[in-house]
Amino acid sequence: MSKLKTENLTRRFLGLVAVNNVSFSMEEGEILGIIGPNGAGKTTFINLISGIIMPSEGLIEYKGQDITYIPAHERARMGIARTYQLIHPLENLTLIENVMVGSIFAKGNGLKEARRRAEALCQELGLTGLDRDTSRLTILEIKKMEIARALANEPEVLFLDEVMAGLNADETKDIIAMVQKIAQERHLAVGVVEHVMGVIRELTHRVIVLEAGELIAEGKYEDVSKNPRVIEAYLGGGAA
Amino acid sequence: MNRNVSRIFAALFGILAIALPLFAGDYPLQVARNIMLYMALAITWDMLLRSGQISFGIAGLFGVGAYAAILGVIRAGMPAWFSIIFAAIFSGVVAFAIGFLILRLRAMYFSIVTLALGEIFRIIIHNLHDFTGGPEGVVMQQGVIFGGSAGKLYWLTLAGLAVAIAASYWFEKSKIHFALTAIRNNEISAKSSGVNIFRWLLLAFVVTSAIQGLLGGIFVQSYGFATPDTVFSADFTLLPLAMALLGGVYSTRGPIFGAILLGLVSEWLKLKIPYGHLVVYGIIIIIVILFMPQGLKQLVRQPANKTDRRSA
Repeated sequence: MSKLKTENLTRRFLGLVAVNNVSFSMEEGEILGIIGPNGAGKTTFINLISGIIMPSEGLIEYKGQDITYIPAHERARMGIARTYQLIHPLENLTLIENVMVGSIFAKGNGLKEARRRAEALCQELGLTGLDRDTSRLTILEIKKMEIARALANEPEVLFLDEVMAGLNADETKDIIAMVQKIAQERHLAVGVVEHVMGVIRELTHRVIVLEAGELIAEGKYEDVSKNPRVIEAYLGGGAA
Repeated sequence: MNRNVSRIFAALFGILAIALPLFAGDYPLQVARNIMLYMALAITWDMLLRSGQISFGIAGLFGVGAYAAILGVIRAGMPAWFSIIFAAIFSGVVAFAIGFLILRLRAMYFSIVTLALGEIFRIIIHNLHDFTGGPEGVVMQQGVIFGGSAGKLYWLTLAGLAVAIAASYWFEKSKIHFALTAIRNNEISAKSSGVNIFRWLLLAFVVTSAIQGLLGGIFVQSYGFATPDTVFSADFTLLPLAMALLGGVYSTRGPIFGAILLGLVSEWLKLKIPYGHLVVYGIIIIIVILFMPQGLKQLVRQPANKTDRRSA
């Protein structure tokens, strides 16, 4: 049984079809790349799966259970976590407190237990200076904190929406290794949205390609990148 | 300020507050009672503000509590002490019912609706003449609680304030703090961390409204009468709001400082320039908001060392 799957998932905004009839599935331990040109509907797709927006049509199944219309906070509790493309640190909380939130509300831990787990998580991701204000963190630290916040939910499925954006080559390498380690140790199914193809090639086992809301290709990165439709989607759209 | 020093200050201040009726006359007690009432309202306003929701409905829930208490005594023969608790429960239940409708609203829309609600309560009480006494209000025939003893009324108000402070600390030290701060910062990311936004907003709204109702009950028991224009007075919304802004929001301390300062200054100004004091009062608020947007709390706390994210 798949960890997560969608059938004919569709979301329309007024006239625009942002996600159109997408069916896919993710397995435990799998790192899946979600790629496509700008405006292809990648973030909308993740928003649908995490429950931030509701679909117009279609079905979402998590561990065999229909979660299509379950609210976002309940999906977080069931084990679906994500990061955001636009980072949202909780500015009036410290680094450690930011990480505690998921542990408190998604896992129902008390404050002490949540702090203990958040500290362990931060240590695992190499975050120090845990009582700092979030305004004092570097961009790399913020990205790690965002990952730690998602992991605090103790998820089974994790979506990373452009976590590498804004990082330099070394920092990117650092995060790639971290994501691989996390996914393997926790048997996560990870969905990665990324624009840098090097990252996708190195990190993912399989990719799906979205264009104008439709799933146009799926398979290993090496194969998909040779697919004429994919090349056309990237080059033909003038995105390159 | 050093943590221990501020604790000692707080303890001394608490002892002074409790012991005040033993040596102070009626006038200072009356002033202190007023200040404590507004202080408690300021704290409850701030408690809800921590979720990002700006309420202009303090006077509304305060007035509902006041009428619940006095009508409880007059129409239902409740004992005085119970009418105060009934006031809290009644305002809490009212808040629970309307919270279901209005807590879907955000920002300005929520503020305007809470303002309108206060007015609606006032008009309803105005017009239910036979039950509420209409615009002339109602008077408690058997007299006020404690026979109007200034010292005991002072302690009663102090107890109301203690409830507000205790609730505020509970909000600060428990998971409610995390829920409300996460909601205020970003609702979408709060949801992704499993925060049930509506549930926490409802909790904050009901708890703060119940305390406002409790204070309304204490107020009405202290004076022995209620009219729509006194208990729904805009003062009960505007003064607490100004006090919290002056002292610094998102804390228990801020509204306390703000209320002491603004309360004392306005009392002093009332004596110095009768009728002119509100002008000076207004100017103080404007100056503080313009130049100290974080309130007086800013002077006590270290200024935040904000650095550019990329520079570290």
